[in-house]
Amino acid sequence: MTTWRRLFHRPDRDAELAREIRFYVDTATDENLACGMSSEEARAAAIRKFGNASLIREEIYLMNRISLIEKAWLDLRYGARITFKNPAFAATAVLILALGIGGNAAMFSVIRAVLLKPLPYRDPGRLVQVSVDNPRLTMPGGSFTALRYQEMRRAAKSFAALGVYSRFTEDMALSGRGEPEMFKGARVSANFLDVLGVRPALGRAFLPEEDTPGGPPVAMISSALWKRRFGADPHVAGRTAILNAVPYTIIGVLPAAFEFPIAELDVWVTRPTETSALPARFWPFVSSLKGFARLRPQTSLERARAEAEVLNRQYLAANPESLDGRAGMVLRLIPMQEQLVADVRPILWMLFGAVGCVLLIACANVASLLLTRSAWRARELAVRAAMGASRGRLIAQSLAESLVLAGAGGVLGVLLAKWALTAFAGMPAFNLPRAGEIQLDATVLAFSVAVSCVTGVLAGLLPSLQASDSNIADLLRESGAAAGRVWASRSWRFHFSSRRLLVAGQIGLSIVLLIGAALLIESMAALRSVNPGLQPANLLTARIALSPTRYDTPQKSAAFFDEVLRRTRALPGVSGAAWALAIPQSVLLRTNVQVGEAPEGDVTKWPMAQLQSVTTGYFHTLGIRIRQGREFDDRDNRPGAQPVVLVNETFARQLAPGANLLGQVMREGMDRSGWMQIIGIVGDVREGGLAADAQPEFYVLPRTHSSRSAYLMARTQVDPMQLVSAIRSQVLAVDRDQPLSNIATMDQVIESGMGRRRLTMLLLGFFAAIALLLATVGIYGTIAYSGAQRTQEMGIRRALGAQDGDILRLLLGQGLMLALAGTAIGIMGALVLTRVMKGLLFHISPADPSTYAGIALLWIMVAAAASYVPARRATRVDPAHALRVG
Amino acid sequence: MPVNSKSKGDLLQGTLDMLILQTLVLGPAHGHAIAHAIERGSDDILQVEHGSLYPALYRLEDRGWVATFWGTSENNRRAKYYRLTLAGRKQLTAETSRWRRMVSGVARILRPAAG
Repeated sequence: MTTWRRLFHRPDRDAELAREIRFYVDTATDENLACGMSSEEARAAAIRKFGNASLIREEIYLMNRISLIEKAWLDLRYGARITFKNPAFAATAVLILALGIGGNAAMFSVIRAVLLKPLPYRDPGRLVQVSVDNPRLTMPGGSFTALRYQEMRRAAKSFAALGVYSRFTEDMALSGRGEPEMFKGARVSANFLDVLGVRPALGRAFLPEEDTPGGPPVAMISSALWKRRFGADPHVAGRTAILNAVPYTIIGVLPAAFEFPIAELDVWVTRPTETSALPARFWPFVSSLKGFARLRPQTSLERARAEAEVLNRQYLAANPESLDGRAGMVLRLIPMQEQLVADVRPILWMLFGAVGCVLLIACANVASLLLTRSAWRARELAVRAAMGASRGRLIAQSLAESLVLAGAGGVLGVLLAKWALTAFAGMPAFNLPRAGEIQLDATVLAFSVAVSCVTGVLAGLLPSLQASDSNIADLLRESGAAAGRVWASRSWRFHFSSRRLLVAGQIGLSIVLLIGAALLIESMAALRSVNPGLQPANLLTARIALSPTRYDTPQKSAAFFDEVLRRTRALPGVSGAAWALAIPQSVLLRTNVQVGEAPEGDVTKWPMAQLQSVTTGYFHTLGIRIRQGREFDDRDNRPGAQPVVLVNETFARQLAPGANLLGQVMREGMDRSGWMQIIGIVGDVREGGLAADAQPEFYVLPRTHSSRSAYLMARTQVDPMQLVSAIRSQVLAVDRDQPLSNIATMDQVIESGMGRRRLTMLLLGFFAAIALLLATVGIYGTIAYSGAQRTQEMGIRRALGAQDGDILRLLLGQGLMLALAGTAIGIMGALVLTRVMKGLLFHISPADPSTYAGIALLWIMVAAAASYVPARRATRVDPAHALRVG
Repeated sequence: MPVNSKSKGDLLQGTLDMLILQTLVLGPAHGHAIAHAIERGSDDILQVEHGSLYPALYRLEDRGWVATFWGTSENNRRAKYYRLTLAGRKQLTAETSRWRRMVSGVARILRPAAG
């Protein structure tokens, strides 16, 4: 007979065997009768002689198995039946596990896409980011000049190819076809796709001659733009698009999810040394290039770095005057992947650790649930042991139950993760690199399956060891619930100590998460209490970037800005408006300044300050305090008027300590507009975000520093967003091809500056809340169980004169001891683990004592409450009843 | 009633199969009769544990050394009979000679100590 036939005929064979056994017993009974036994005796003796019929049947049944798999399948089916017989228990356990597994699946998808998966370029391990940095600044990624680029291209032997892009993204106004729209564009060297090893999805890449000054205007576009604006036209290559009023020829479309150099770009053009943000005469001198390179196949990173060091020394010696050639600058090569995710890596690992803790807590919780349940099922287990089930079988079956739970939890968890990732994708605030690559793919599913299995084993191990560790006879002598008690008292030490350990561990882990979340919440509160230096409520901001060809003189752009400002101020609901070069809270231009009349000397030795160019009414509109002097007014715009400047308090304090700056003169190194008179000192605005310290800053009028792009700031009397369409139509009335972009309220701008921190806080807070909830349930369950198991003991105590208070104290004390032990574990863990989140904290130490004390206190209160309820119940036990039943 | 005790001849692994086959040389028999025959034939030195007998019978059947049919027993009950197949007969010969060699080998080693 073949294996398969045997397998399918098994039930027949089993029936046959049963008949055969019956025949044996009948025959033996006859023999015994013949020997003179009574008929009952004869039959009992025959059965005794035969032995354990079910064991024999089982052995023969299993002889026909294919492998262990089948046994496991039986166990699993049994486990499922047992599990879902008690739907409330099953639902609770599955939900708890689903939260843990789902959280881990979601975080793993993110970690895998962002940190682990190789970049979507050819041989990405050989790609490096090339930066010139001032080592005093910790973050690498600094830019360099065109001269440095030429020198490196000429001399560097380690690179198979070196590409650059401009660190400025360009605003590209696409017009001519429908509403004018603003896109983000990058300026890249012609070889950028070659360096990365990416082919265009359509059309071709840039040619070297398209990267020379005066070369033909060509552009590549993103897949998204191609689909949305060009209807996915397969012949788009060769079509013309008006970008910033210049006709560009579209030569190719980049693949979907292409995110180089940054995400959410729509247009790529050549000539990275050019930047519309600065006048052309500055282009050769500005450090605007960021480099990336592919190492030669035989060159190690160490060798490339050694060469870079030599090249850097030569460059510094030859060009001490240039911005990137000053003494102390270093040339850094960092693997591209590492560099790309450098600032999110610690956050992501921390969150992954946090969901890992949640999963551990979930495991411990479900383990506790299973322990409790196996106590009630002690009799069933004893019967099965008596029927000849071996210890291994009992363990296997017990494990099968927890695996069924974990499996169901895993399925639900993956659904949860899918949902969470969709929600996550809708939160751009995190500004995560490679976010487009996040997906629930086969690897993530495999990870979830593995996590589910490990979870099942972890949650089931203790209960299953426990289940198999019991004395059958003692249990069978008792009935029902009493059996549970015998069993429990027998393995009391093992049982209760493992339970305590589980609960204390849960409390400890939840405390680590709670402390982490509390530190972040306090940081956010501290951050919010920072005075931004302006009144953000009811302040609308929007960006305009004018076409460099149609607005080719400062006069033309000034006329546009003045007209839009005049019209905006006249709108009902607007109480003030102004233009600013940069939006507050963003990174501003920095330049060298000299305060007080003095010989020029070496300009590069002058101190640095931030430059902001604003129109009249700016300080009034934004609500920035004028500390001394006055703000700009129309007199300062009259032709031939003395150039004037305002400085902030930090400027006054740091660059001219003790001096009265009003009426003094200063000059700056970028525009070389000559001496300007300081007419006022204003309050500090937190540029660069609330977490950044105030920097020296000076304000000039657009006539001193003009730009084709600016932010419109409008103070409104109503909800700012209601005025967007009115303002947009005023802009279109002045120039019907001019789009308005980056529309946001100032509140939103400030919030988005904290976005990543806030989202981290929310996620960690969510995990901590789950952990707290689960651990509370855990301690409640343990005390309730302890109370129920010791009903008889309580009865005796009461009979001997114990008062309600004594019983209450006994059980409460037990709960509090657990909480204290858990708190101690948790605090020690937190002291070690919260160090990783130092970069996310603001004005608070990772070992902040009051936070630790607060969380410990919170937990002790929670533990007291969670123990009080079941302890109270235990005091209601009627001693007579307890003694009788027990 | 005594079930076979350890001192009283637990069967060596594999020997039970051989003994069953040997019993069936005399003609078909049912399980109870096979057990009886082995116990009687060995003057009750060998005790057949039913926990081993039935699995062994099923194993032999699976290997094709015995065939089964349902018949009527001496006491007029429906019983499952086992009979030797040709393959079973060959197997028995092989097993028997292997057993003889083993016994004589073991005996040679034991002789000096015993003698």
